Amino acid sequence: MFSRHVTKQISAYCHGELSSEESKQFAEHIISCVKCRTKFEEVKLGVKLAEQLPQLSAPKHLWSDVEYLLDTPRPAPASSPLWSWPVQVTAAAVLIVVLSFATLWFQGVPSIPRQRVPEIALNPSWQVTRIEGTPKIGTEQISKNGSLGVGEWLETDENSRAQIAVGQIGHVEIDPNTRVRLLTNQPTEHRLQLERGRMSAQIWAPPRLFFVDTPSAVAEDLGCAYTLEVDDHGASFLHVTSGWVELGLKDRTSIVPAGAACETQPGIGPGTPFFLDASLPFRAALSSVDFHHDASVRSTSLMVLLNEARARDSLTLWHLLPRVYGSDRVRVYEKLAALVPPPPGTTREAVLQLDEKTLEGWKLSMEWGWIGGGKGKGKVWSKFAQDKNGLSEREKKMAPK
Amino acid sequence: MERHARMAEQLIDGRVIEACQQGDREAFHILFETYKDKVFSIAVYSSGGDRDVADDVTQQIFLKLFTAIRQFRGDSEFTTWLYRLVVNACLDERRRRRRLLPWGETTAMKNPSEKKPQEKQFARLEVAEAVREAIGELKPKFRLPILLKYIEGLSYEEIAMVMGCSKGTVASRLNRGHSQLAKRLSHFNNPAAWGE
Repeated sequence: MFSRHVTKQISAYCHGELSSEESKQFAEHIISCVKCRTKFEEVKLGVKLAEQLPQLSAPKHLWSDVEYLLDTPRPAPASSPLWSWPVQVTAAAVLIVVLSFATLWFQGVPSIPRQRVPEIALNPSWQVTRIEGTPKIGTEQISKNGSLGVGEWLETDENSRAQIAVGQIGHVEIDPNTRVRLLTNQPTEHRLQLERGRMSAQIWAPPRLFFVDTPSAVAEDLGCAYTLEVDDHGASFLHVTSGWVELGLKDRTSIVPAGAACETQPGIGPGTPFFLDASLPFRAALSSVDFHHDASVRSTSLMVLLNEARARDSLTLWHLLPRVYGSDRVRVYEKLAALVPPPPGTTREAVLQLDEKTLEGWKLSMEWGWIGGGKGKGKVWSKFAQDKNGLSEREKKMAPK
Repeated sequence: MERHARMAEQLIDGRVIEACQQGDREAFHILFETYKDKVFSIAVYSSGGDRDVADDVTQQIFLKLFTAIRQFRGDSEFTTWLYRLVVNACLDERRRRRRLLPWGETTAMKNPSEKKPQEKQFARLEVAEAVREAIGELKPKFRLPILLKYIEGLSYEEIAMVMGCSKGTVASRLNRGHSQLAKRLSHFNNPAAWGE
């Protein structure tokens, strides 16, 4: 249906006015069309802004003013040539005729159907389906289906699992021993809180509509499937199986493609993304680089990491560039350049100074390898990352002059 | 007043409307209490934030409602009929004031008692204020669908019936309205601006 551009349907999509099939086709088109996706982001901002319009309270004196007007007789119209006596007679005759018909008409007024003050046409809750055991919404156990409203908790014990329908844009499977809460259900933002446990999400919406808050980062969907796990200390582990996910906390952001993972720690936020097929020494070293409190340990671990790095680990090395400083950054640059030569026009100085355009250009040239060299989606997802620049404000400020 | 507020929470059913059509002031008060805030909100946003003008327009709307309700024959939803009346009244007021003063745009009249955005303590309030001003600068054909959608909560079909156009036209005008809002307030495309 949407073989052509879908810009005219954007607001309707945001407001749930399209059918399920139309919504799905819209989402699929957006994924592959840069023009429509750009327009989508613009309209989505407009929707978010318009949602801030508050309903105002009428002044208290309004009813008394209206009553006064109702009780005050209207002054007779001023005499004018238009209101001469022949016209008055004619008007009176017309009035009599009209009143006669009106009397006959109102005798047959049909009963007026019951009216309800209109409500916002958006399903306020998400449907929950029991997969196994007895998951609970609040204190109520779900036998088959349930509804998860904003602010409500869904909890599974060791024997239960459930599936949540995320509006019309995807679904989330909740594993045993998991606790989640619905935070927001708006046309431009669907947000869950994962307090602990494990969930798997499959989202087919345009990017930045579905979010999951954890104690140590926010997972922002860029059109994907992933699992997210939070332990009792608030640390989390994200594994992306399809598409991309952005993990962020304050000014720290990691963009994680399919086949890669990322850890987060409370108080620090997201670590550096890495591919799951990286060597164990590489992964152990990365964990130290990301989270160890001792700078010398981090520096030593970096040496191990660089020694173990393969071409595909350029994902990790690229993300590390703004997160290390001085000679460490030089080492990361040199290893990355040896594994994946930068595109023409890229200078060492620009990279070490974390020039945004330079870093983005290099990343674009590497992404093909990150996603397995596939067409279409690679460019699409890199555009999302480009929009976000991939660098936090802190990282830009920390760049050496 | 409390009694009327409680009564206003009840559904507006056919009995209330019939009573209004027979001139029952009590029933009309129920109708008034149910819709006064929504009608006033649309009037304020349509007048570029001028509460004095909105006050006048709202009074005129309810006055007209009381006299015109006898013409409501139930061939549409009551709310569709009511909001059509509201939209027409706002457009009429706009035309009337254009003959006297520039309308909306950069010469939007503000109630002097309104706080300026820079006095607001919270980012969200600042956003709401900025949106209110930007809404006032939109053309009516883009502003009114936005007000009917976000203040009244109408569906596209209901908006189409109120405005006398097709659903497609409603979708198109909402798209244009959203885009214009986003362009005017592009500096809010930044989580920090929302206090996040």
